[in-house]
Formats: sequence, C-alpha cells, structure tokens
Amino acid sequence: MRSTDAFSNYTERLRKFIARHSSPTDGASSDSDFNELALELFARQLENVPPFRELCRAKNISQVTHWKQIPAVPTTAFKEYEMTSLASEERSAVFHSSGTTEQRPSRHFHSADSLAIYEASLLPWFQKNFLGDHEDLLENETVNATEKFGFIILTPPPTLAPNSSLVHMFETVRRELGSRDSFFGGQLDNNGAWTLDIEQVLFGIRKSMCANRPIAIVGTAFSFVHLLDHFEAKNMRYRLAEGSRVLETGGYKGRSRVLPKPELHALITKHLGISTSHIFCEYGMSELSSQAYDAPLAHSRSFKFPAWARVQIISPETGLEVGEGETGLIRIYDLANVRSVMAIQTEDLGIRRGDALELIGRSAVVEPRGCSLMST
Amino acid sequence: MNLPDYFFADLPAGASITPSMIGEACQTLKRNREQYLRHRSTDDIIRALSSLAESWMDPEYPFRLKLLADGPEATGFSKEILRIGIDEFFSAINAKNLRHLIVQDLGHAKRLDGFHANDLEQNTDRASTVRGPELLVHIAAGNIPNSTLTSMLLGLLLRSAQFVKCGTGGSFIPRLFAHSLYEVEPKLAACLEIAEWKGGAHSLESVLFSEADCVTANGSNETLEKIRSHLPAKVRFLGYGHRVSFGYVTHEALSGFDARKIVTHAAHDVIAWNQLGCLSPHVFYVENGGKMTPEEFAGLLATELAHHEQHTPRGKLQTEEAAAIHHRRSFYDIRSANSQDVKKWQSEQSTAWTVVYESDPRFQLSCLNRFIYIKAVANPTEALQGADNVFGQVSTVGIAAPLNRAQLLAEQLSRWGVPRICPIGKMQQPPLTWRHDGRPSLADLVTWSDWEM
Repeated sequence: MRSTDAFSNYTERLRKFIARHSSPTDGASSDSDFNELALELFARQLENVPPFRELCRAKNISQVTHWKQIPAVPTTAFKEYEMTSLASEERSAVFHSSGTTEQRPSRHFHSADSLAIYEASLLPWFQKNFLGDHEDLLENETVNATEKFGFIILTPPPTLAPNSSLVHMFETVRRELGSRDSFFGGQLDNNGAWTLDIEQVLFGIRKSMCANRPIAIVGTAFSFVHLLDHFEAKNMRYRLAEGSRVLETGGYKGRSRVLPKPELHALITKHLGISTSHIFCEYGMSELSSQAYDAPLAHSRSFKFPAWARVQIISPETGLEVGEGETGLIRIYDLANVRSVMAIQTEDLGIRRGDALELIGRSAVVEPRGCSLMST
Repeated sequence: MNLPDYFFADLPAGASITPSMIGEACQTLKRNREQYLRHRSTDDIIRALSSLAESWMDPEYPFRLKLLADGPEATGFSKEILRIGIDEFFSAINAKNLRHLIVQDLGHAKRLDGFHANDLEQNTDRASTVRGPELLVHIAAGNIPNSTLTSMLLGLLLRSAQFVKCGTGGSFIPRLFAHSLYEVEPKLAACLEIAEWKGGAHSLESVLFSEADCVTANGSNETLEKIRSHLPAKVRFLGYGHRVSFGYVTHEALSGFDARKIVTHAAHDVIAWNQLGCLSPHVFYVENGGKMTPEEFAGLLATELAHHEQHTPRGKLQTEEAAAIHHRRSFYDIRSANSQDVKKWQSEQSTAWTVVYESDPRFQLSCLNRFIYIKAVANPTEALQGADNVFGQVSTVGIAAPLNRAQLLAEQLSRWGVPRICPIGKMQQPPLTWRHDGRPSLADLVTWSDWEM
C-alpha cells in the first residue's frame, strides 16, 4: 500500500470534521470526535513516520486511548529528522522555519494532498477570525456583496519565498479570498532578507483610500516596523477606509528593531488609522498546518486554534499540564498535520486561558544565568 | 537578623538611585579610603580578612545562617548548594593563601607596604612598590558569587575604595558579605559600596566610570564591549568574558581501583553552583578502552546525580530555565530513539538532573542546571578537535589521568590554550592564586613604582 492510501480515509473524515466545525451553526467540538480522529491519525503516523515510530518504540507506546497520551515531537527534531510519511518522490513542497540565525532550519514536507488539507484548515478559521465582521460591513454598506477584500501582503511572493509557510498561507488567502488587485509588497535584498517595496505598498494603500474601500494589510511584525518607520520618517498619518484591518504575525528574528506588541499596535493606529479592535495577531509555525488567532473584536488577546487543533500548556518542570492561568510550554495537537506528526512541542511559553492561550513567546526567554556562548 | 540600611543595595525595592547619588558615594568612598584604609598594613588587612573568613566557616555565624535561610529565595540555589559553595570559597581565604598570592603576583610579601626588594632585585640594585587603584569598580557577574567576593577581597588587599555594581537580583550574597565586614571592621566597610541595577543604565554608569581608576567586569562579549566603549581613556579595564569548561577522563583512570571515585568527583563538579559558573563542565570527554566504558561512566554519573538530588538538591528553576532543559530533553528522546550511539538518563517528573551520552565528540554547550554530556573519544586529540567550536573560550579542563599521562595531557591542553588544568572534582574550586582567564589577578590591578638605586 502506498503511504498516501493509508491516509486517504482519514483525510476524508478530517475534511468533514472541518466542514462541520466551520459552519456558523456548529462551533463546538466534542472531545470524543476530536479524540477519534486523533487516535486514527496517531496510528497512521506511528506506522509511517520512521523517526516518530522509533520514538514511540523507545517510550513503549504502541496504543493510546486519549489524544493527550500521544508523544509530542519537539520542533527542533524537524531540523535533524525527516518527520514525514511522504516518500521523497511524493514531496512537492517543503516549508522551512524562518530566522536568520538558524544554521539548520526545520523542514516540514508536503505533497499536493497535504497542501490541500493545509489550505482546507487555513481558510475557514482565517475567514472566521480575520474577516468575521464582514457580514456587518455588508449590512452597513461599507462593502458591496460582490466585492472581495483587497489584501496588501508585506511578504515577498511565493516565487521568491517558496519555503515559507507564511507566504504560502498568504498566497492561499489572496487566491481564495482576495480581490484581483491584492498583491505582495515584499521582495528580497541582496542577502536574501525580506524587505518592502515601500512605493508599491503606499500606492496600494492610497488607491484604497481614494476609493474609500477597506483593505487588509498582512505581514510579519518586522515588516510592519519597516513600513511604520517610513511613515514616521516622513511624518505621514493615513486614515484607511472604515473596516480596514491588519494581521501581524511572527517574531522579529533580528530583522528589525523589536517593539513590544502594544507599542507596535499603537503605531499602526497612529499612522494607518486602524483601531486596535481591527489589529489581529496570528500564531503559527512551519511545523503546523493550523493557525491560532486572537480576537481583538471581542477584546481578547488570547490565541485560539480551530476545533481541529488543541492546545496544552505543559509545565517544563514536571511535563504535566499546568493549571488555569499558569505559564508553561505550548504543545499543539493539530489534526491537519496529516503527513508529519500531529503533536508538536514548541519552544514558546504561554499562559493557559481556558481552551486558548496567552502568548509569552520565545523572546521572553531569559538569558541563561550560567556562562553560555550560544543558545544551542 | 535585620540588616541596617548601609549600602545602596539595602534600599527598599523600587527606590531609585540617581547619578548625583553615585557621584557623592564615590567621593565619600575615596575620602574614607584616604582616612581609614590607605595606611593600613598588609599584615593588618590579611588578619582582618582571614578572621572574617573564619567566622563565615563557623556553623553558628549569624550572617552565614542568614545566607542559608534567605539564600534559596534570593538566589535560586538550594540551602545545601549554598552551604557547599560558601564552605569551599571561604576555606581558601586564610593568611597563608593571601600571602602566597601577594608573593606570587607581586614578587614580595611587603610589596604593598613600601619599597622592598626580593633577592633578584637586590642583586640588581632595585626596589619596587605597588599601589592599588584609588577607586576600583566591579561590574559583577550574575550567575555565581565567587568572582565578586574574590574581587572584593583583592580590592581590600590593595587598599582600594570599591564600588560593586550587581545586576538585578544579584546583590544578595555580596551585600551580606559587606555587612559582615561592616560588623567587625566598619571603617573598612566604609570604603565599600554595593548597588544593584540593570546593566546599561548609562546615566548612572557614566558617573561611576568617570570616578573610577579601574573597572573589572564579568559578562558576555557584547556587555564587555559596551562597557569598554563608555570608559574614559584613563580608566584601566579588566573584562572577563563568558567561558566554558569541560572534563577529560583517561582510560587508565577508568581501569584502576578508584574509577568509581572519579565518577563521584565528576558529579561534584556538576552540582557545584548547579553548573552555572564558567569553571563548571558542560561535557566530560571519556576515553574508550578502559575497564569502565564511557557509557557506563554516564550511567554511574546519573546514579550519583540522583543521589545528590536526595542530599544536595538543585533547587527551583525559573520557568524559562526549566523550559530549556525540557526542550533539550525531548530532542534527545528522539535522537536516542533513532540512534544506538545516544543514550539519556534523567530525573523523573522534574528537571533536577540529566545525563546525555553521545559517541559524537563534538563539544555541546549544556543548558546547565545539572545537564551534563558524556562524549566518548579515542584520545585527547579527538576531544580537542571536537571542542574546536569553543576554541579560545575555554576556562578550565578537569582531568583524571595517571601521573605518566597527566604531564603530557597538561602540555597538550596548554598548547591548545587552556588557561587552567585541575583534577576532576576541583573544577569549581580554584585556589586563591588562580590566574583568572590566564591573567594574574592582583598584578593586573596594581601600578608599580620602581626605584633604581
């Protein structure tokens, strides 16, 4: 049996699960539904992802009854091992972890099928969280029914960044949800680092303002810093059309000066005229296929994953789940991570807030007290 | 025991120090030095310091009791680790060792008391004396207190006024030591200031640096560069960058009757100050070919560390530190499951201790707090090739070797640039005469006057 066949039945069921939990009438997910799929996926991955199989063998785990018993794989393992059930000829894409300091990036392999699932997971949750008030806008006649959102994407396009899961995500969003004049405003400099085509971005922004049409500006935190630095330097203050919004994600990775979130958001409000209720944050990584968003419209800065991904906050000291309101390492069980491994142990710290998480992130990790020359 | 408000570090949390306060404090320190310290004899100072160290060794000494009672909360080290650390440190501070240090570094026991000549100088009709800096400023290390305490002792020996700047949360032990001095020698303590602020507070530091004659600093290379760039040209700067250490165990040592003892000593090096000092090992290189294999060595070391956790526990970690261990461990779960050449031992339900055995000789930086690597090698050359990524940044190599090999091994290590070689089990206990990063500790601080007769 080809490995793809082993996953096709699961994939079908997952698609139904996603469809069921994406409809406005059915938001809640029962643990047993999730559990059933998780156990099935675990069994497939145990069989078909060799380094994961060895891990489970060493831990003496061959069967589990609850998804929380599935061993989590640390993100660093994606650097050293091919955490995939895809044979080399089946792989059509690979997403790398970002960051300029990393010598060996994480690698998350995909096939056409697994990318399709990635997109099926991405779109409904993105739409619900980022464009959730679209109905209200229609009612208020801020937008008309046939019009799609214009996206200004502050990353380079997929042709220039084929290994970025974030760029793939934005490309999917642009293709499926964006208006025809949506565009990527990022490029690469001579060293391959991401930069902005400021003129092109400004042109797009001005055009939307002239038409009084709301737009979405999406990108990494550092690309917003680059953009806002330009606004600051030229002393520019725009007021984008009502309903305009921003999505920022990711860390800085040494690509710009680092701004605390509230400060970055205050600058966005100051220069683009977008209030904090319309500044959204995303939490995702190349090792995952689902993303979490905060809910500024509901005044919440906690991140929530869709029904097909669950979060646990783990005490690094004991390895057990922490209590409500306590801090620990973020662990994610992502049913859409079909062809790699579903349980991912991140290096990020977060606070447990019900079924959501408040992100502390890696940037808060203190410099070790001991004499240390490098981090890894 | 309540400490009086005497030093800046005694101010309640939240009280802020201003640049003018720093300036005034430096002036006072210099005045007090002139009045109380400059004219004291070396013998007199040695007497005061060795008697103070003796007090610290007394189990009933109130300052020691306070350190052990409040230390775990203030420093994160367990009471047992603090006790071991304090005992090992103060046992080396005695009159004999202090005199040895002066003779070693300055060539004559009375060098600080006026013109004197040793035999060599007499033969060439010369005499010399030295002076310590008027105001010596220390930018203290945050990890363990040893180097700060040593710096303070050296400064007193040189009759310098001293300003000790500690990082946030790092002043507890230096401050207790200063108070213990104040109790018996208030005039000496009047030449000492302890303060705490987050490094890089330029308005405070620029005043401090402009008053200083000499600044010593411990920290990362970036920190040292930053400090150096802010110093006036007249100020002497001694920067101690971060260093790492490792151990080397020969196969002969693992074939003898006391092989088990080496494991015990290695465990001691791992638990001393919870491995957080520059002299603490990240890795033990263990030679193949002995009666005990490197892997067995790792297993026995794990047993020793488990035993230590019962009697000399590590203490509680910050979430971030525990997270580093957790993540590193889960990575080695995968690696050990997928390779015959990797094995891991660890405490259950806690991050108390971890031993990783790998046949790959590449040097690995540990995430510390009792996380130790054992690497199998054929010979020292292979180990040094493996440690190539930390070349020039090594402080100490602890060795276990029979006499006939120890000499060759020491020579090879010295050629590679290792500044300190010592027995395993003593890595975190350098003698007072130790040359920090290969530099003489007293001699680097003084200025000479030579008289050619």
